[in-house]
Amino acid sequence: MINRIFRYSAIYILLILFQVLILNNIQLSGYANPYAYILFILILPVETAGWLLIVLAFLAGLVVDLFMGSPGMHASASAAAAFARPLVLRSMAPRDGYEPDAEPAMAQYGFRWFAIYTLIIVALHHVVLFWVEVMNLADFMGIMLRAAISTLFSVIMILMIEYFRKGR
Amino acid sequence: MRNLLQFLARHNRIFVFILLEIVAFYLIFSSNNYHNTRLVKSVRRSTLAWESIISDVRNYLMIRKLNADLHAENTLLRNYIAALKPATDSTDLLFPSVEKSDSLSDPRYEFLRAEVVNNSVVRQRNFFTLDAGTNQGVDTNMAVVSPWGVAGIIVAAGENFSVAMPVINVDFRLSAKVKTNDFYGSLSWDGADYRYAVLNEIPQHVEINAGDTVVTTGYSAFFPEGIPVGTIADFKKSGSDFYHIKLRLATDFRRLVHVYVIRDRLRKEQLETEKGFL
Repeated sequence: MINRIFRYSAIYILLILFQVLILNNIQLSGYANPYAYILFILILPVETAGWLLIVLAFLAGLVVDLFMGSPGMHASASAAAAFARPLVLRSMAPRDGYEPDAEPAMAQYGFRWFAIYTLIIVALHHVVLFWVEVMNLADFMGIMLRAAISTLFSVIMILMIEYFRKGR
Repeated sequence: MRNLLQFLARHNRIFVFILLEIVAFYLIFSSNNYHNTRLVKSVRRSTLAWESIISDVRNYLMIRKLNADLHAENTLLRNYIAALKPATDSTDLLFPSVEKSDSLSDPRYEFLRAEVVNNSVVRQRNFFTLDAGTNQGVDTNMAVVSPWGVAGIIVAAGENFSVAMPVINVDFRLSAKVKTNDFYGSLSWDGADYRYAVLNEIPQHVEINAGDTVVTTGYSAFFPEGIPVGTIADFKKSGSDFYHIKLRLATDFRRLVHVYVIRDRLRKEQLETEKGFL
């Protein structure tokens, strides 16, 4: 248990550092900024209590917000993603359910499963994030397009990190 | 009471979610105060130190391009000096006793150098941070220009850092004119592409062409007159009496590093004189 807390803390710190030190400075093509810190929300153990998941995601988003100077936007989007996670996991459960201390990781459930899981959660996170940022309905297609492009970049980035984290 | 507690315990996930979203939206909607809270201030101070290191690395990677830009600018300035020299020399020869006018010995505008240490181009409300603050003479409402043209306006100034709102912020407004015919309109950003802005309020009877240069007017008491804003990339006649002009911005906001903050010595006087009339 203690071991696990240490491991997740280390993953959390590394992901946040990677996000604010490197990814926030790349700004691919000027339109999209990949957000890899969402991986932290994705790989918390399946049995994590719902409320704890939301609180941890909220705090992770808040730290990213502090570094980006965007008050509350990432916190809000991350909390929404964490709220949806148990529902997504339940709908994607293997035939005989999850093991007692399973982690939703690529190494355990395979690339295809993890890619679909990541895509759903990240897309949700980004749609919330972009709506909260713009706060009006005027340019619906434009915002959805930007969210879609960013989602693509984020998913690719997260899959790469996850691949090298545990591999197949 | 016990039923209520049981109800809360059973649906804790939803309640935690709603509570935290309320907190998040509170932060979003009070974002003006947010930057002033003590916690954020102290965190910002430590993140600014990080950002200085990051921007050092980033600038090092771009150093060739930056040197080329600076070189080009130096060449331009040298050319100006060369163009001015004979004139002053000849005046000196012709009118040796003429006193230099005030406007020459004490120019209205003073340029202060600054470097961009943090920048964003992907958001709707972009801002960039400069490594100069009140200690260096930078204050709010001063204009910021890049080697290419208009960059933004200082919106907050600390002791050693200041924050500027660039043209590519949906709240930015600037009066700008077409250089060839002096008709002026209102410049804003539509939030779509960091390379293009929109120029409105140019009447349709005016003849404009793609490629025309657009410069600042002196009306806004922010920018001196005649600083390049961009060139007309595309224009169409909309239903109203005005053109809808798409402007290619002169400043490349992704490569914004060396900028000049413009201090207007007469700005205060101008605003006080105008007070009550405009």
